[in-house]
Amino acid sequence: MNAHRVDEYLQATTIAVAKDRVQAEIHLTPGIQVFPVVLAVIDTNRDGAISVAEQRAYVARVLHDVSLRVDGGRLTLRLISSKFPAIDELQEGRGAIQIDLEATIPGGGPERTLAFENHHMTRIGVYLVNGLVPTDPDIHYRLQSRNYEQSRYQLEYVQAWVAADPSWFSWWPGPIGVFTIAVLLTVARLMRSRRHAHVAT
Amino acid sequence: MTGLSTRAARTIVVAALCASVNRAAAQTPTGRIVSAANVFLATLDPTQRKSVSFAFDDEQQRARWSNFPQGIFKRAGLPMGELNPTQRSAAMALVSAALSKRGFEKIQQIVDADEVLKTTDGNGRLLFGKDLYYVSILGTPSEKTPWMVQFGGHHLALNITIAGERGILTPSLSGAQPALYTANGKTVRPLGQESDKALALLNSLDSTQRSQAILKYRVADLVLGPGQDGKTIQPEGLKASAMDETQRAMLVDVIAEWTGIVHESAAAGRMNEVKTGLGETWFAWSGPTTATPGRNITAYYRIQGPNLVIEYAPQQMGGDPSNHIHTIYRDPTNDYGRKVTGR
Repeated sequence: MNAHRVDEYLQATTIAVAKDRVQAEIHLTPGIQVFPVVLAVIDTNRDGAISVAEQRAYVARVLHDVSLRVDGGRLTLRLISSKFPAIDELQEGRGAIQIDLEATIPGGGPERTLAFENHHMTRIGVYLVNGLVPTDPDIHYRLQSRNYEQSRYQLEYVQAWVAADPSWFSWWPGPIGVFTIAVLLTVARLMRSRRHAHVAT
Repeated sequence: MTGLSTRAARTIVVAALCASVNRAAAQTPTGRIVSAANVFLATLDPTQRKSVSFAFDDEQQRARWSNFPQGIFKRAGLPMGELNPTQRSAAMALVSAALSKRGFEKIQQIVDADEVLKTTDGNGRLLFGKDLYYVSILGTPSEKTPWMVQFGGHHLALNITIAGERGILTPSLSGAQPALYTANGKTVRPLGQESDKALALLNSLDSTQRSQAILKYRVADLVLGPGQDGKTIQPEGLKASAMDETQRAMLVDVIAEWTGIVHESAAAGRMNEVKTGLGETWFAWSGPTTATPGRNITAYYRIQGPNLVIEYAPQQMGGDPSNHIHTIYRDPTNDYGRKVTGR
């Protein structure tokens, strides 16, 4: 029996969606048997320690292996922070590397689809991914779906009171604009009919 | 201290304990817990009292709990192994006062399981057994001002906030390894009801309900386990509003395995909160839908409502997952009693 993770590399992600950005928090916990495999990827100079440069390089690798898309367009991920526990904590299966990421969501329509994929160390990886309940009351999740391993995740959501996507609706003036146009057209029609009446007399 | 004076001191403490218990009979549940806490504190020397006491809003101590055994996770407070028999009895009397009869029995079975594990698996830095469960007190025991008792070790983390007559048990972790063992000729499954009742609920669902309740993906571990305070994930599965009355009663019965750990009057209040949000409570299942009779399920399940998260997660970890269980119990609106205490 074991008290800790053994032969899997648990990679748990939570995703927080806002109107203009998305944040992902990834916790990576190597099991004791796969720790040497993970360490070999991180500790590239094989000195038994994880230097700051090696931490940066590993985070870059994770960033390369995960992706976030919204409405099919791949987002550029920015690193917010990363934390590496002591190497003995990782070795004993009780430590988790934490990587916090962020990306800007471009403007779009009210119905959106976010997709997250994690292909980091798939041979030993087991995955969890969940959307956090949005703090913005205008955002409502419709559907979460995943593949069996949870390495692929899709979230369909709706955002109310969103500014329309300029690429589709840049010509659309909105309700105030429509009202203004209607008033101008009415005034123009009145002036024309008055001019016609003047000519007739 | 001489042998005589030690015996005299112990006699005084025991007398105080007895007197306190007599007084407690006429007290409210909170009054009984406060009395038990004060009796326990009175048994400690100044150094021990310092070790066991923390500020009520000590965020580090609040979050210092884990499923891991001592040795690879550092707890704070006083371990049972460093207490003399009188102090240890007083510590367990405090835990008992804060819990229901069934809740205390469950906690004892979890601790006993770790004692079994000590004889089979204790090695190196992995340390198991009854002596390695810690007690700590955050704040000053009071019938009016909020304070907290923590009791935990391998596979156990009770965070009990006492605020007036409220007893808030969230967040708490319960687990078991082995989750099935024999003691005094009897088979013990500390989390057997959590397993059996949930499977019975699943089996009561019709095919449409099952297709909603059963997730199409593997859940390898707790999502909101230790270190995940303050998060609320999007609920999934089958909503209780899509269950019939019998199924909803079965769901409530599963939930009661966690809400009923705390003492009876606090449990009743908590169950009222849960029932208020029952229509918005979800039941989700991932994994095998059968179990060997007399053994625990090997599937993960989650119950999530507006003020409730329960997860049950068998652990693969190189062994039989039915024999190694982790569970978590949270109230995302009131973990550590924050809603009530404002801290």
